[in-house]
Parts: sequence; structure tokens; C-alpha cells
Amino acid sequence: MAETAIALPAAPAPARPRVLLVGTALSATAAFMAIVGLVGIYLSARADVVSTGAAWLPEGSNIPLTPANMAIATMLLSAVSMWWAVDAVSRNDRQMAYLALALTMFFGIAVINATSFLYTQMDLAVKTTPGVLIYTITGAHLAMIVVGLVYAAVMTFRTLGGEYQGRDHEGLTAAALFWYVTIAAQAVIWLAIYVTK
Amino acid sequence: MAVIDTPPETVHAASESATVIPRAQPTGLAGVLGSGDHKVLGRLFIITSLLFGLAVVALGQGFAVEGLAPKTLDVFSADTVFQFFTFFRVATVFLLALPLVIGVAFVVVPLQVGAPALAFPRAAAASFWGWLLGSGLLIASYAMNGGPGGGSTKGVNLWIAALALVVGAIVLAAVSLATTVFALRTPGLTLDRAPLFAWSVLVASIMWLVTLPVLFGLLVLMYVDHRHGGTSFGANAGLYSRLLWVFRNPQIYTVAIPVLGFAADVLATTARTRIAPRFAAQGAIGAFGIVGFGSFFVAATPDSGAYDAAIVMVIGLAAVLPVLAIGGLAGDLFRRGSFRLTAGALYAVSSVLILLLGVAAGALGSLPRLDTAGTVFDLGVTNGVVLASIIASLGAVHWWATKIGRQPANESIGRLAPLVLLLGSAAVVIPDLISGLAGDGAETRLDWTGGIQGLNVIVVVGAALVGLGLLAAMVSLLPILKAGTDVEADPWEGQTLEWLAPSPPPLANFVAPLPVVMSAEPLLDLREEK
Repeated sequence: MAETAIALPAAPAPARPRVLLVGTALSATAAFMAIVGLVGIYLSARADVVSTGAAWLPEGSNIPLTPANMAIATMLLSAVSMWWAVDAVSRNDRQMAYLALALTMFFGIAVINATSFLYTQMDLAVKTTPGVLIYTITGAHLAMIVVGLVYAAVMTFRTLGGEYQGRDHEGLTAAALFWYVTIAAQAVIWLAIYVTK
Repeated sequence: MAVIDTPPETVHAASESATVIPRAQPTGLAGVLGSGDHKVLGRLFIITSLLFGLAVVALGQGFAVEGLAPKTLDVFSADTVFQFFTFFRVATVFLLALPLVIGVAFVVVPLQVGAPALAFPRAAAASFWGWLLGSGLLIASYAMNGGPGGGSTKGVNLWIAALALVVGAIVLAAVSLATTVFALRTPGLTLDRAPLFAWSVLVASIMWLVTLPVLFGLLVLMYVDHRHGGTSFGANAGLYSRLLWVFRNPQIYTVAIPVLGFAADVLATTARTRIAPRFAAQGAIGAFGIVGFGSFFVAATPDSGAYDAAIVMVIGLAAVLPVLAIGGLAGDLFRRGSFRLTAGALYAVSSVLILLLGVAAGALGSLPRLDTAGTVFDLGVTNGVVLASIIASLGAVHWWATKIGRQPANESIGRLAPLVLLLGSAAVVIPDLISGLAGDGAETRLDWTGGIQGLNVIVVVGAALVGLGLLAAMVSLLPILKAGTDVEADPWEGQTLEWLAPSPPPLANFVAPLPVVMSAEPLLDLREEK
């Protein structure tokens, strides 16, 4: 009987440390805590004023809900397009990845636009307590959106440029994670500021 | 190149094959300014924070002297005393204690987890340079009559922005440290086997990551408000009262989390035995981190009564237990092991004792009936916790001298320093606690009186002893700056991976690939097998 070589399957490659994903998760947590902390200050300051029987917003100021609703709906849509971008990259589908990323960026810019439109409608001075809180919180969130968009764009181009492979798209997954946390922060702001006022 | 990239000189070090010989390292000034090497960055953090520390201790001594006779002695003029006081409080935490801990952690943590480099070395470098720039601007803001209570609006704005930069840099360092422990551990080194100092740095980093961004957000809010002429979050002097939560318990405990990890690691090695049960030590350190979560006070003001809530009392009392647990485990080590009298062990014991004093006082102060809020009692608690952190960090530099520097530190002066620091710290903290309990000495008034006048003499002696202790520690560390020959890799019969690295460690830390780790004390296993 001929001697047959027993070929064992190759051992799996050692797990690549997911440094970028872990670092992004930690950074996103930090950014989320900054927003949540600000919202906490907002709710506390508002409760103090309301408990005295006074109105929270200065006379003549108003926060229309429609642009805020549009912004949160657009952000939720961008969660789908971001997921689509990650999925397309994992399948090495360059065209779909670019399309999904472009859509995500479009949605992100639309949210920035909706928020800046909201600013023009509020008629709220920065010098007032509600004004400084609302502008700081929403401004911080806009900065988070810009960071998330730049991060997603850089990671998509790097992945498609060959830095990551289809099976290994940690960079874009990390950018998507940051984006999802940005959406969660938007939801907190929508409920605490725009709905509660 | 983004901050998440690996800088050129550590590209090999950060790659999976640590055995690849890295290309020539830049030397001289370029090697310092452009370095992403965790050891260089750690040394920079340690040296600069100690230099700031000397100024902070001198300032503390000035306040102690002023407290001797506030009406006649005028160390600080009535116009500037509040600014100096706020600088003292801010600098103690953000220019001395935190960066000193981070500096030690930058050097030691990658070595302990068997990593060839820190995660995100360029971000780590950005954290140091950002912190240094922020610290410089913070000092400059006071120089231009800024800071809380300052007369220059621009100076106050600069103070807020500079402090935000310092806080942001520390958050960046925390991301780098936590990611290193989470994702760069060598094969086999599971989290439950992670050395206790690395574990404590992980817990501390996570706590900084969930609390300091809240402070960052508050500072941004203050900046926007102040920049537009508002006073919603305090006018000049009022700004400081909105930040008080950072400098008091429970938040201040997050500065001292690594004290417990340092003490557990050093005392186990000094006693030549394993800490047992290990999960209890890890649990105690984790629990101490959790009770340090104090950012929910961000909306509280000193008059809001938030510090009288029942939760504060529960947290205050609970914080004592983890420190007692580590103390108990250390006692068990002394009982089971063959103890050696090393400077590291003396630093460890001193830091745990002062931390215990701080948290026990914090527990006492959390009882609303004692009504210590707003008095120098809070200052005593903070000083106790921060001094514990500084003593532990100095001890860590001494203990890991051959990894941080080039050769061992002077052991005999090193044994003296923690004892002087222990005595000095107790003399600084205890009189303030007594004064606070007696209801004497407001903490944040626009002049400084200290506590009960008779007890302030002890504070002066204590502050002088702390200064002497700091100087003694620095003198004992001088030898580590000089190049040595045949420096031992493991001078203490260590238990964890950092002692496998040569002294001083090369760029990629380890000269050969590390074996798969099978226990929490791999080097002790090796010795026991022989």
C-alpha cells in the first residue's frame, strides 16, 4: 500500500489585533460621553428654570420640530447607507461601495444643512442660557458628523486602494462604528432638545 | 499622515513580527521631537510633569505659609490669591499627577503586555505635545491675568481653551493606553492574566474616557458662553465652582486607580509569591474605578445640595472597600512570602496608606450630618488621593528604573523618599481634615485662610516634607539618566513580561519572540520549573 501523506488543514492565521476598531470604539465612547454630558447640563439647567414657573426659551424664540425630524430621519437613513458601504467593501464591490459612501456623505451634509436651517429659524441669542447650551450641543454634534464623514471617506479609499482586503475591512467597520455612535448622539439630542425643548 | 498611523521609526515595532530589525532610529533632538516610541514619550511625560511638580509643591508651600497668619502674612496679594489657588488645584491634577501616571504607564504597560509598541504611537505623541502646549498656554493665561477670578477676558478665555486642550490630550493618551491593553497583548496573555498595573491602567483609562470628555464638553460650553459675554456658567471666579466636581471625590479617585495596581504588582514581586486570589485584586481595582465615576456631578454647583444625596454617601463608603481589599491582599503576601525591604515596596505601602487616609476621609465627608462640604476638608481629601497617586508614580519610576531609564535608581535614597513623603502627606492632609470637621476654613473664598490657624503650622511642616521627599525621590532617580554597563534585565526577580526585556529595552522592546503566556506570572513559573 502506497504511503499516503496525511494532509492536515492549515492552521488558521493568528487573529489580527483589531487595534483600529478598539481605538475607534473607545474614541466614539468618549465623544458620546461629551455629548451626553452636555445634554445632562441642558436638562438640569432647563429643569431649574421650569421649576420656578418661568419659560425655558426666551420670548420670541422657537425650535421648530420639522427640520429636527428631517435631520433624525436622514441620519437613520445614513445608517443603512453606511451598512451598505461596509457590505460592498467586504464583497470588493468598488462601484457599490463608492455609491453607498457618496449617499452617506450626502445624508451627512443634509443633516448639517437641516441643522443650520434650524439655527436661522430659532431666533435664539447665543448669550442666553438656552442659546449657549443649544448651540454648543448641536455644534459639537455637527463636528462629530464632519469627523465621521472624513473618517468614513478616508477608510473607504484606503480599503479600495488595497490597504485592507475584502475579508479584512477593519478600517471601514471602525468608521461605520463611529458613524453609528454619531447617529445615537443625534437621537439623544433630538429627544432632549428638539422634542422636549 | 493621520494620528492613527504608525510613525516610520516604529513601523516595524508595531507590526506583528517584532523580530524585524527596525531601521536606524533618529537621534538627538529629532529623536525626541519626532519620536513615537512609547519609552521616549513616557520619559518626556515623566520629566516635564516632575518639573511642573516642583512649582506646584512650592506653590502649595506658599499657601501653607499664608495660612499661618492670613491677616498679616501676604505671600499672595488679595488680588491674585484666588488665581494662584485655582492654578494650584488645576496644576496638581492636570500638570503633575495625571501626566506622571500616564508617563509611567506609557513606558511600562506595553512591556507588561508583551507589545512591541503602544497602540496609535502617533496619537500618543500628539497627546504629549498637546498636553505640553496646553500646559504652557494654561500658565500663560495666568500670566496675562486670566484664569478664574482673572481680570482679563482674553486671559480667562485662554485659560478655558488651554485646559480643554490639556484634557483632550489626556483623553487621547487614555485611548492609546486602553487600546494597548485590549488589543496588543501577547498570545496567551488573557485579560484575567494581565499584570495588575496594566489592569489598573486599563481601568483608569476607561474611567478617564467616560468622565474627562464630560469635562471637555463643559469647558467648550464655558468657552462659548464666556466668549459671547455670557455668565450662564459662571463669570470669572464662578467658573472654578463649576469645575469643582473634578477635584473632589468621587471623581478624584480616578487619578489614583493605578496606585492599587502598582502596589499589588510590586508587593507580590517583593514578597516572591503570587497574589491570591487574583480575581479579588482585579475586582477591587475595577470596583475602585467604578466608584470613581463622578461626572454625573457636572451640572451640580456647590449650593445645589447634590453632594448631600444618598448616592454620594454610598459611593463614599464603598470607595474604602477596594483599598482595604488590596491592603488585605498585601498583608497576606507579607504572611505567605519572603519579604524584602525594597524602595519599591516602601513606596507601595506609603501610597496605599495615604490613599486609605484619603478615601476614609472621603467616606467621612460624604456623611451629610458632618457638613464638611465647601471647607478645607474637601481639599484634604483631594490632597490625600493626589499625593497617593504621586507617591505611587514616583515609586513606579524607581521600580521600573531600568526600563524607564538606563540603570537602577539609588536604592538607599529611594528608601528614604517614600517615608518622608508619607510623613509629609499625612501632615498636609490630617490638619485640613480636622479643620474641616470643625467647620473652619472655606475652600473657595476669594482669599486664603487655610484651616484652623494653629494646625496650619503642621501643614507648613508637611508641605516642606513633601517638597523634601519629592527632591529626595528625584535625586535617587538621577542615576537612571546615565548610561550603564551590563544592566540586569530583571533586578527584582520579577513575575511579569517586562522583566524579559533587556534593560534599557530596545526599540521593539523584546529581542526574541515571546513564548505563549500560560499564567499571570510567567517568569515566576519559569523560576519554579528550574
